[in-house]
Amino acid sequence: MAQLTDLEYLKLNKAQRFGLKFTAFFKAIPGWFKNLGIKIWTFMKNFFWGVVNFFKNLGLTFWHGDWKTKVSYFVMGFGSVMRGQWLRGILFFLFEVVFILYMALFGGKFLGQLYILGQNESSMGDDGTIVYGDNSFNILLYGVLSLFFIVALIYTWYLNIKQNKIGEDYVKAKKQLATAKDDVKALVDKDFYKTLLALPTLGILIFTVLPIFFMILVAFTNYDKSHFPPQNLFGWVGYDNFGLLFQWSNSEGASFSMTFGQILLWTLVWAFFATFTNYFLGMLVAMLINKKGIKLKKLWRTVLVFSIAIPQFISILFVSNMFQYPDGIINGILSAISGGKLLIDFWGNAWIARITVIIINVWIGVPYLMLVVTGILMNIPADLYESANIDGASPWQQYSKITLPYMLFITGPYLLTSFTGNMNNFNVIYLLTGGGPKVQEYYGNAGKTDLLITWLFSLAVNDTNYKLAAVIGIMVFIVVAVLSLVIYNIIPSTRNEEEFQ
Amino acid sequence: MAAEKHSMSMSKKKTIVNTISYIVLGLISVIWILPFVFLLLKSFDIGNTGVTKNFIPSAWGFDNYAYLFSSDCNFLQWYFNTFIIALFVCVIQTVMQFMMAYTLSRFRFKLRKPLMNIMLVLGMFPGFLTMIVLYQILKTIGLTGDNAVPGLILVYVASSGMGYYVIKGFLDTLPKSLDEAALVDGANRMQIFVKVIIPLCKPILIYTVLTSFMGPWGDFVFAYTVSLGSQAGMNVAAGLNSWLSPANIGSHFTHFCAGGVIVAIPVMILFLFLQKYYVEGVTGGAVKG
Amino acid sequence: MARVVLKDVKKIYPGNVEVVHKFNLDIKDKEFIVFVGPSGCGKSTTLRMVAGLEEISAGTVEIDGEVVNDLQPKDRHISMVFQNYALYPHLTVYENMAFPLRLDKKERVMELSDSEKEDAKKQIDALEAQAKASPDKAEKLLKKADKLKDEIENGRKQKGYTNDQIYERVTSAAKVLGITQYLTRKPKALSGGQRQRVAIGRAMVKDCKVFLMDEPLSNLDAKLRNQMRAEIILLRKRINTTFIYVTHDQTEAMTLGDRIVCLKDGYIMQVGSPSELFDMPANLFVAQFIGAPMMNTAECELLKEGAKYYVNPFGHKLVVDGEKAKALKDRGVESRKIILGVRPEHIQLAKKGSANSIPVEILVNEMMGSEYHLHVQTEDGTKLVVRIPTINLSEEERTHMVMGEKINIVFEGKAMHFFDPENERNLLVDEIYGPEAMQLELEAEAKAKANAEANEVPVEDPVPAEEEKAEEPKVEEPQVDIQEQEK
Repeated sequence: MAQLTDLEYLKLNKAQRFGLKFTAFFKAIPGWFKNLGIKIWTFMKNFFWGVVNFFKNLGLTFWHGDWKTKVSYFVMGFGSVMRGQWLRGILFFLFEVVFILYMALFGGKFLGQLYILGQNESSMGDDGTIVYGDNSFNILLYGVLSLFFIVALIYTWYLNIKQNKIGEDYVKAKKQLATAKDDVKALVDKDFYKTLLALPTLGILIFTVLPIFFMILVAFTNYDKSHFPPQNLFGWVGYDNFGLLFQWSNSEGASFSMTFGQILLWTLVWAFFATFTNYFLGMLVAMLINKKGIKLKKLWRTVLVFSIAIPQFISILFVSNMFQYPDGIINGILSAISGGKLLIDFWGNAWIARITVIIINVWIGVPYLMLVVTGILMNIPADLYESANIDGASPWQQYSKITLPYMLFITGPYLLTSFTGNMNNFNVIYLLTGGGPKVQEYYGNAGKTDLLITWLFSLAVNDTNYKLAAVIGIMVFIVVAVLSLVIYNIIPSTRNEEEFQ
Repeated sequence: MAAEKHSMSMSKKKTIVNTISYIVLGLISVIWILPFVFLLLKSFDIGNTGVTKNFIPSAWGFDNYAYLFSSDCNFLQWYFNTFIIALFVCVIQTVMQFMMAYTLSRFRFKLRKPLMNIMLVLGMFPGFLTMIVLYQILKTIGLTGDNAVPGLILVYVASSGMGYYVIKGFLDTLPKSLDEAALVDGANRMQIFVKVIIPLCKPILIYTVLTSFMGPWGDFVFAYTVSLGSQAGMNVAAGLNSWLSPANIGSHFTHFCAGGVIVAIPVMILFLFLQKYYVEGVTGGAVKG
Repeated sequence: MARVVLKDVKKIYPGNVEVVHKFNLDIKDKEFIVFVGPSGCGKSTTLRMVAGLEEISAGTVEIDGEVVNDLQPKDRHISMVFQNYALYPHLTVYENMAFPLRLDKKERVMELSDSEKEDAKKQIDALEAQAKASPDKAEKLLKKADKLKDEIENGRKQKGYTNDQIYERVTSAAKVLGITQYLTRKPKALSGGQRQRVAIGRAMVKDCKVFLMDEPLSNLDAKLRNQMRAEIILLRKRINTTFIYVTHDQTEAMTLGDRIVCLKDGYIMQVGSPSELFDMPANLFVAQFIGAPMMNTAECELLKEGAKYYVNPFGHKLVVDGEKAKALKDRGVESRKIILGVRPEHIQLAKKGSANSIPVEILVNEMMGSEYHLHVQTEDGTKLVVRIPTINLSEEERTHMVMGEKINIVFEGKAMHFFDPENERNLLVDEIYGPEAMQLELEAEAKAKANAEANEVPVEDPVPAEEEKAEEPKVEEPQVDIQEQEK
């Protein structure tokens, strides 16, 4: 089919347009893959040439460098100090010293055992006390830390050599090198970002990157109840834990793969309903409050905001007990109405529990959404509605042709984050049901309302089954990442961050 | 005639619609308020300390509150712990997030995009994944159990730079020409940050302080893990939750309710006063992602 | 108070997008220079490179003889007024204006004010009296007195500004700008025009060598803009420093500038005084950009018949007279194809059948008050705009100026402009600007390089460098030509 011009497109009716878009969508798919391929290819190419250039530069700098530079390849910061940049030089040198001391005194022995995670088991001594052997946990943790350190050293070493190169060039060009005073001044001016970023990134590195890295590695070990340091060693098992995900038949009753599949499905269903019930009901409430002619707007809003102010664990735990069977307040009311006939075991039946959870989540989430939506509703230009009124649009048409498209466009990314946020909505599920009702057919004491995240928590805390917790964590990451990537490329509101400035 | 009839029905229709709207709004208000009313009522129930069918107390009294402040329980300790944690967290976290947001909004450096992407990817990992390791790290430096308070502060604030989005969204709306004018006027970047940007961030500053102050009051997972059964190290969430264990709930449910009321009141007052800023932050953050 | 020299300045954005190409300009001390051009022509970018807000990709910027490429904006001795004012919303007008002074911590010698001189004199008297009273301390006291005397003579050394000095400067600037009564207000409480004054005031209080203005009037409404334009002319007299003013509005450029730099797509299209640009536009772009309504153009032929020149637009043969004819003759221009340009104000009404007259039909008549802007169409369908002052029109003539009426117009021969249809250059202007100039320059460079290589002279040798310069064509640095002409 030949490409339609814009004017020809305008002539088509709805069905034809839809058909056109539909086919265009599928026609575009090979293009996506091609682009992806090109992207990956260019990345690989750049990466390869980056590495090649890196070594080439290192070699050339060494070859052409003066003796100060050459010494700096072994004693970091030497060249900088010799060229008068003593502050940088000393910092480089100090880092090297710290690194050597760390490796020699502490990190080295862990790093050496990283490949096997310890050999000497703990044993009972002759006098009945436990003689501890190697601690696999420490070996893994400090081994990883040492690896981080090595990467940091290579990077600083590279910086150090680059400094030497710049230093040489400047001296050759008879330009003034930055002195220690200039360096300090730059840290509050041109390089202020380095000062600002130092602490937050260090925190993220130690308290997020390192642990995540560690846990990813744990997924490849047999770290669980029966391999628990310091009493026992744990070791590498390769892909075995991930293999469990694909082992459909399991002789020991509840299979991990089946449970994972079921819980993943419920997690997605939950996230879908939790996101969209909140979104549309929140929008409804916001529009109701902001409707022309409604008085006491502030009061209605405050009533809802009130429920955000109360810490979630209080409200959710209390509500959870309100729905208790048979003694909760809700059942009290139900039995009072029905004369004792109607009692519902809200948390006992899988489907009732699931529906109740979604309904209670509406109660929790709508006030927040109401605030978000109100803010956006205010920003819709009033003349859009005025012109729609003049054109004779009914309230429903105004909603579906103006409000909704505008909202969806603006809140596209927000919907995405709230979807992934709901997938990981630990508080609501854990505090409401604790994952229950627990069932035998599920692996690892999982329940019918368990999300992957709550299952991860109970596996880790109750069963100390860290290897599977790690596997679930990684799977959650993969699901979230893939969803985000796909949806982010589909929604139209990809904003330019410079737009506002 | 016809026109008159039409306008009559118009205004009539309007009244009906409005009446329905008010009824719905009233219903909504009742649904959203009622659980808290039940909570309040239950906290005065001294007839039955467990979960009951009736929301009207069988016997009224302040015993549950008295219990909280008596030496029989550690509620005051938990409360104090949480308050200290919240205080430190709200200061440090705000500072960290501002540093991160300002840098990413105003500086263009080589690692900026990679840094943002890395933080985005890290944010996709479930937070609890790191819990096991963090617990071990804290244990090594002795900040678990009874000493959980500093440990918890560390856990809360260490990675808080990753939550820079809302502030950056706000900073991005401040015109860049302000920075440039200050640059021409002779300010260095630090002076721009302190003298020009920060004073303009009052609404988002209050929002950040408020949300980061409220966070520790509600956190259960880390508080539970890091304190690990130590009464002295718990925060209110972990402590009050321990009263709802199957073994305790029969004797402690009303205590939980009273504790909940005591926890909710100061946070709520703070919140209602600063509602305006909270709303601004929420809407701004959602729109700009 | 400084000369600003831009040498081969380039701006290249990531992705190899070059938005300013080899910008060369020599701005004299105390000159008011205006960069004008359509949006996206690189005028603001160039200004921001002078200010230090944008990195200079290649070339150098000199302010007062010092290359400032690597200097921070604050060290360049510049003041700047921004398009959207960029006032600090949290500070009062006074604090906004005092902001640059408070931040300045440089050491400098300041002349004492009258009141300070008085104080110092009193102190000297007291010190001398004390010295007389107690001879043992006399030496020390007299030294102090001497120091004060020296300060009265030569000024006092100090870091930054004292509070009094800041007050003095801010209030006097506020007085000049007429914003004294707003000093305690926040910017939010001011109108657009007042904000603009505050922004100018903030730039004024500082000692600066160059005063930069980036479209300072474009956020104001038309009426206010006219008023502020007049005020800027007055202000300029008062501050008396080098100004660089960026605007997209040709009226502002014409009224304010000593010299105008007209830009397009990152190229300089012409540099010259307002009257030069108006009377002798170097190319079609400048001709059409300067002047409103836009210059009318028509493709036609220039005919040389004996000593006389004719043009034949819309099938009418018109004689070229006055200076233009002489200039064509001096240059020995032969018959050729041209684009004829005539400004709307240089077209007049003519009696039917009079010499050179062209019958046209009125399409639209815009009544501007003092004049009509007539949009007319010739017999061959070319559309023209004609400006007719209303003052000389009789009542009857006015009734004829309506749609569909036929009138006769005549071009003033001395006000015709002739452009080469190929390169759009003015036949009567020698200087070459724009992409073409750059092309020539690059060719010359390549040639010089080839020559240098052929001669195989070592690079360090200064002689070939001079040769290279000599070989560069005259067109390379247009502004030099103009300066010479001015002399």
